[in-house]
Amino acid sequence: MKEFEQVVQLSIPAKAEFIDLARLSLYGVAAKMGFSYEDIEDMKVAVSEACNNAVLHAYDDETGRIDLRFEMQPDAIRIIVKDYGKSFNYEQEAKQAASLHHQSLDAAKIGGLGLFMMQALMDQVEVLTIDGTEVILTKFLNRNEGEHNHEFISSSSIQEQP
Amino acid sequence: MNTKLFDVIHEEQSDRHVIYVKGELDLASAEQFRNIAEPLANDKTKTLVIYLKDLTYIDSTGIGIFVSLLKRRQQLQAPVLIENIPPKIQRLFDLTGVSRFFAAERETTKQKGQKANDERV
Repeated sequence: MKEFEQVVQLSIPAKAEFIDLARLSLYGVAAKMGFSYEDIEDMKVAVSEACNNAVLHAYDDETGRIDLRFEMQPDAIRIIVKDYGKSFNYEQEAKQAASLHHQSLDAAKIGGLGLFMMQALMDQVEVLTIDGTEVILTKFLNRNEGEHNHEFISSSSIQEQP
Repeated sequence: MNTKLFDVIHEEQSDRHVIYVKGELDLASAEQFRNIAEPLANDKTKTLVIYLKDLTYIDSTGIGIFVSLLKRRQQLQAPVLIENIPPKIQRLFDLTGVSRFFAAERETTKQKGQKANDERV
């Protein structure tokens, strides 16, 4: 790897049947960077969940797009999933992001599962809501399980910034 | 467009409905799976088996369908078995906590007919 960042980009229609292309591209980029099979599987799910949210929440019509940007850094991959539609309320959703570990089956809520998986499977999840929604997923190379800090940086917008 | 990344097959046996789920169960294929599985989940006269040997990928949409199927079976007090879960899928079931709702029994389904011939040794 060169020290500077290398970027691969992909733009897909915001439709469910194109999300597999996001996974395939991610696989190619992450494998080239030397990520483990397990890490790649984790990232596939996280990227798909970000795309799912764009498909389900961003656009009212069928013409929307999702731009994916894979930034290959020396020690990490940053995956940016961007839509230009209505912002999905990640901040509120983040509060509900939960696994099913402490729920009974009859009361199990699955609404926050996608975001929970994103947070659990990546090292870092950032969400920006500027002209649509931008989800930034980061995974570091050669980090062992346990070192991961599953932090969630809450969404911000241009208006809220000083 | 049919890339055949997903397939779902129903097989009725004397005591059970077996649903073979193959390929990638995601937002795009969720409806196809739901359309087949939901009516079968309503039949409480037979065990429902969801057979996952050839499932290669699942996301929160797919896991959500499993939860709703398990809920339905619990309401009906009818048995449901999730069988032959590949390790990488099991990881996600464990991570999300959905595996807590699965019955402990595994691999009780005998494949019959041509499906048995598919088994590679």
